[in-house]
Amino acid sequence: MDDQILLSDHASSLSVQAYLRMCGLPIQVVCRYNAEYMSPSGKIPFIHVGNQVVSELGPVVQFTKAKGHSLSDSLDDVQRAEMKAYMELVYNMLLTSELFVQWCDDATAGEISRPRYSSPYSWPLGNILAYQKQWEVRRKMNAIGWGGKTLEQVYEDVNQCCQALSQRLGTQPYFFNKQATELDALVFGHLFTILTTRLTSTELAERVKSYSNLLSFCRRIEQTYFEDKKLMKD
Amino acid sequence: MGTVHAKSLDPLPMHGRDLGVNPDDLMEPPEQEQESKQEVLENKDVVVQHVNIQGLGRTKEDLLGYEISDVFHAKNLIDVMKRAHVARLRLLRLGVFKEVEVLIDTSEGKDALPNGLDITFEVTEIKRLTGSYNTMVGNNEGSMVLGLKLPNVFGRAEKVTFQFSYGTKETSYGLSFFKPQPGYFERNFTLNLYKVTGQFPWSSLKETDRGLSAELNFPLGVTSHTLKWEGVWRELGCLARSASFAVREESGHSLKSALSHSMSIDLRNSAIFPNRGALLRINQELAGYTGGDASFLKEDFELQLNRKLFWDSVLSASLWGGMLYPLRGQPSCIADRFYLGGPTSVRGFGMYSIGPQSEGDYLGGEAYWAGGVHLYTPLPFRPGKGGFGDLFRTHFFLNAGNLCNLNYGEGPQAHLQRLAECIRWSYGAGIVLRLGNIARLELNYCVPMGVQSGDRICDGVQFGAGIRFL
Repeated sequence: MDDQILLSDHASSLSVQAYLRMCGLPIQVVCRYNAEYMSPSGKIPFIHVGNQVVSELGPVVQFTKAKGHSLSDSLDDVQRAEMKAYMELVYNMLLTSELFVQWCDDATAGEISRPRYSSPYSWPLGNILAYQKQWEVRRKMNAIGWGGKTLEQVYEDVNQCCQALSQRLGTQPYFFNKQATELDALVFGHLFTILTTRLTSTELAERVKSYSNLLSFCRRIEQTYFEDKKLMKD
Repeated sequence: MGTVHAKSLDPLPMHGRDLGVNPDDLMEPPEQEQESKQEVLENKDVVVQHVNIQGLGRTKEDLLGYEISDVFHAKNLIDVMKRAHVARLRLLRLGVFKEVEVLIDTSEGKDALPNGLDITFEVTEIKRLTGSYNTMVGNNEGSMVLGLKLPNVFGRAEKVTFQFSYGTKETSYGLSFFKPQPGYFERNFTLNLYKVTGQFPWSSLKETDRGLSAELNFPLGVTSHTLKWEGVWRELGCLARSASFAVREESGHSLKSALSHSMSIDLRNSAIFPNRGALLRINQELAGYTGGDASFLKEDFELQLNRKLFWDSVLSASLWGGMLYPLRGQPSCIADRFYLGGPTSVRGFGMYSIGPQSEGDYLGGEAYWAGGVHLYTPLPFRPGKGGFGDLFRTHFFLNAGNLCNLNYGEGPQAHLQRLAECIRWSYGAGIVLRLGNIARLELNYCVPMGVQSGDRICDGVQFGAGIRFL
């Protein structure tokens, strides 16, 4: 559903796609308007393998590991802990910022998020579901203390997160030198989506663009793993 | 039952509100003979001069005029008593009075005729608000049910009911407003607002419906019709993590806005154990042309014929069928499809466990038919005859049916062929108990036949309770 998916969901979905391609597993991407409700955890993306359904990147990584495919086997314990920490950083900063910009900024919510979220449904169901989702995200933001933040503060948080990632990446091709890991997939998914999604303002993308090594990182991963497929650009 | 008092010797005048309906055109010219007021009125010609209703509070008089106007046409005392009784029943069926008593007396006053009668209906209105509170336990869930009823809200037999159920798993509520047409109680209008939840373990599905409906009922000759518009926000979800992917795909929200028409002719002498008569019910529903996501045309019918045979036994045959035709290229939704099987439909099979399924979850089908032939007899040796024993019957049955999806590109020949192949059928015997005038319980021994792979059977003893049985 090109005209339904939102920034944060697309970022999560792209992360899982990148991870599975890095593992060399063949995948097929299917869009469903009710994917959020089909998922056992309520969050997309989810993978359907045989008759098993697994949702979100963390459980997907565990699942593929159990089947014998893993990207982080060669890491030692210190590196693995570091990887987990950076992944947490992305979840807590980047993903939360994406949700904030989408649903807590009135301009973006009204012009982009609500119309897109309600597009597969007829009136008035679409409006009801979109407002319900907006209230749910705003409640969650209040619960984690982001309720009082302004858009500028959120952009600054994104900037700091990118700075940390940029410093860790340095001049290496991947975060852990030669080997792509799930952290690379996660970071790629989010940064690429931020760079290529049109929002009401380009400030979010600008913050990412200011780090040239992150830009080239995204381009490199796209060329290496997604060469056969034109990535969805909103 | 009520009492009809006919007093002929009471000297006190009746106090009451005169309806102001003038029976002038019904009055016969006054007789010339001077007859004493003490004369006992036997089967003499009489004229009803006044009809009063006493005890009205909030009920409006114009509503009642229609129900009692027939009394004025009575020509003799027996007729008066009969018509007064009928009028009393009509007043009671409005649902606004707790009790109605009829008093028939000779006319008093200066325009009283020697054979004139005054009829007075003494009524007691129902309280403005009645409430009920129940607790219910069932299916691993307990709930509290609160009911509120406001009868006769605006004085013309309107009724507002509210029911709220708070359970360990789900809450549901319903609010409804009922308004009959004054003078034609059978023509009425109902507005409903509701939220109901249901769990369907045979499909591993749970459904929450929040809806609004407006319904118009009216009789036409011997048939009774219902026209209804319904708008429902449906939310489907998986009941367990182990639900099949086919059911998982149906999860989510959808909006159904549908117009439906239903016609029924019920000529049976009883709803539960009819001895004779037939029932025909035809129902159609068109969704999608008044908004909403779901788009389909659904038809289904129910036919039942009963005939009394020798020795108080009754032969009953019934046939059900239906078809769902998805419109605008959209696939049908699991919540709209038909289901078959179970103690209330084809006996000997598990509840709704016939037909297309995926990993043990039954998905329903777009077309079905089901038929049954029953022979009902009173219990052998008739224990408790005239009392408790009359609530039971033994029955021998033969049920058959089929449920499948049709390929709408093919013609009707192909559809019939599909419905005729792989017929499931069963036979058996059991005991049926009548509950009130609405429900029945059955305990049967069933032998299912024609079982296809994927169907779940319940051979041997099967228990069923419900309102509508095949």
